Amino acid sequence: MTSPLFEIDALEVAVEDKQIVNGLSLTLRPGEVHAIMGPNGSGKSTLANSLMGHPRYTINGGDIRLSGQSVIEMAPDERARAGLFLAFQYPTDIPGVSMINFLRRSMSARRGEEIPVREFRQVLNDVLGRLQMDEQFVRRYVNDGFSGGEKKRAEILQLGLLQPRVAVMDETDSGLDIDALRIVSEGINTFHSDQNAILLITHYQRILRYVQPDHVHVLIDGRIVESGDASLAERLERDGYEPFMEQTKEGVLSS
Amino acid sequence: MTQATLEAPADAEIKPDELRAQVAELSRTKGEPDWLLAFRLASLEQALGMEWWTGQEESWRRTPRERLPRRARVGRVAGGSNGTAVTVPQHVFTPRAHAGLVHQIDGRVAASDLAEQARAQGVIVKPLAAAARDNAELIQQWLGAVGPPADRYDAFGRALWTQGVFVYAPRGAVVDESLFYLITQDVAQGDHWHYTLVVAERESQVSLIDGGDADDRRANLEESPLIHASVELIAEDGANLQFASVQRWHRQSAAISTTRGRVGRDASIRVTTAAFGADLDKQRIDLDLSQSGGFAEIRGLFVGDGKQHIEHVTRQHHKGVGATSDLLIRGVLTDESQAVQYGLIRIEPEGQKTSAHQTMRNLLLDDGAGADPIPMLEIEADDVKCSHAAAVGPVDPDQLFYLQARGIPPNIAERMVVRGFLSEIADGVPDEHMREVIDELVEIQLEPAKATT
Repeated sequence: MTSPLFEIDALEVAVEDKQIVNGLSLTLRPGEVHAIMGPNGSGKSTLANSLMGHPRYTINGGDIRLSGQSVIEMAPDERARAGLFLAFQYPTDIPGVSMINFLRRSMSARRGEEIPVREFRQVLNDVLGRLQMDEQFVRRYVNDGFSGGEKKRAEILQLGLLQPRVAVMDETDSGLDIDALRIVSEGINTFHSDQNAILLITHYQRILRYVQPDHVHVLIDGRIVESGDASLAERLERDGYEPFMEQTKEGVLSS
Repeated sequence: MTQATLEAPADAEIKPDELRAQVAELSRTKGEPDWLLAFRLASLEQALGMEWWTGQEESWRRTPRERLPRRARVGRVAGGSNGTAVTVPQHVFTPRAHAGLVHQIDGRVAASDLAEQARAQGVIVKPLAAAARDNAELIQQWLGAVGPPADRYDAFGRALWTQGVFVYAPRGAVVDESLFYLITQDVAQGDHWHYTLVVAERESQVSLIDGGDADDRRANLEESPLIHASVELIAEDGANLQFASVQRWHRQSAAISTTRGRVGRDASIRVTTAAFGADLDKQRIDLDLSQSGGFAEIRGLFVGDGKQHIEHVTRQHHKGVGATSDLLIRGVLTDESQAVQYGLIRIEPEGQKTSAHQTMRNLLLDDGAGADPIPMLEIEADDVKCSHAAAVGPVDPDQLFYLQARGIPPNIAERMVVRGFLSEIADGVPDEHMREVIDELVEIQLEPAKATT
């Protein structure tokens, strides 16, 4: 078996003194797609944001390792340059900063050197084309006035340009109509290779019809209560989260 | 900062008789016509009859008044009616292209030029002193026509000015490119009094960019210079007048300006200002919409550092039916710099169907920085649309996180957000080169360990 690309090791995360993620562990190997599925309030977004190092979240224990190296002490920009990527559930708008300027700076930061204009143009047009996005799109300000679908597409555009080693996708499917979902999913599939790994964090199973997961995990109360293959997602679709939540309650009662 | 900020400046005692004699001498030396001398002396009497402030006025209450020189000195007068020709000094705002330009240093004319396209239409851009001679009727008609002086500085400004510019667009004239008025502050000369008069006749279109730079920004001055500007903007019916003012005076300067505009029927005046240099910058901008269908816009941009104090006192005054006004001020404050915005929307009973808005936003980048935005509404008409918004706060942490999550280091991320924040105003300046220079000055002001350049 290949060595792990991304490891979450007994991670504990708190927001304003309230612990949300309670000792979560997960290992992603190169080429793998993992899906974490959980109901509202199970800690999905806390997990996603803390993996990227959002300052609002406090890590109380555990470790996060990228290619065996801990990123816990790294600032968000260092994590990004090391190859970690977060597709935001709610991408932030930044009026006055153009997409094109932002994308070029991001790519240069990821590479560690200024990307030549010609090459940037080429790569950009290529990815824009694949996502069926208009060239004029990058003239707009970052996420400013974007529709829900445009925001998600813009996240996938960045995924395609930055070529991270590990991509964490936080509810990328939410708010997308069926056509947009297909395009976004194709974007993820095109990006995916045996060199990288993807962690899909989602409430619903529908994106998993387009992006096939190797492993599915159920997140309840900030910990993984069950892991399985793609069939687990189908079970969730059929039975909902209820049976797993019952299980947790019983677990708490009996302990 | 390498230079100390203004310490309580010495107030000069005002000696009325001496001043009257000096003003007469100034006017005589410049070879001015009698009516202009009379205008100066009348303004002087108005000034002498006023207080600097009582401290109770809304427009002065928040000003660190102890840092303002209370002085009315007659500056050095360049000899000769044409002014002495001088070498054109380096100026940060020197345009790449323009429709016309006047460049003055210490009251002397360094350059004066007018493009053929504008000249052919009868457009005038020339030093105010020359215009008073060549275009006496126009100047007599319009000088001071916006109303009585706004305060004692403004009154002294009308009496004591030693440099100024006159811009005139005759009926129907359309000037595509901007006209420029460049001023080089001669730091060795102390106080400066400027006078700008822009008249856009019916259906004309004209844009003036006013740029202030200092001849020696590194000089350590014994006394902080007072730089005063009286600006009068007249847009007759259907005219479009745009005025942009950008200053980076010597750092020890105290800059006070009064910009007043009169908007005709279906006419527009747009004012954009950007403050960088002076230690204390107090701008009064007062636009009068007494005709129907007028449009007035005020845009303010600044980046404060050190102990700078940057203040906007504005008034959007509606009397005409169906007129529109909009104010947007965006500032960034670092170190211990402070900002004040006192913005009044005043709608008289006859100002029905008015649409008036104001937004003030201040980004604080350091703990010691502060801002006090105060939007005010005085509405006496019942069928109006008004809105106001004021904000003071740090850079949005979610915006920083988003950029950082893409690999951009925090200091660059902050710079990007700040420049984006200011771009809405900078992008409205009607000259590409000027926009670039503003961008550079923003960069310089944001540089934490900058030298005074």
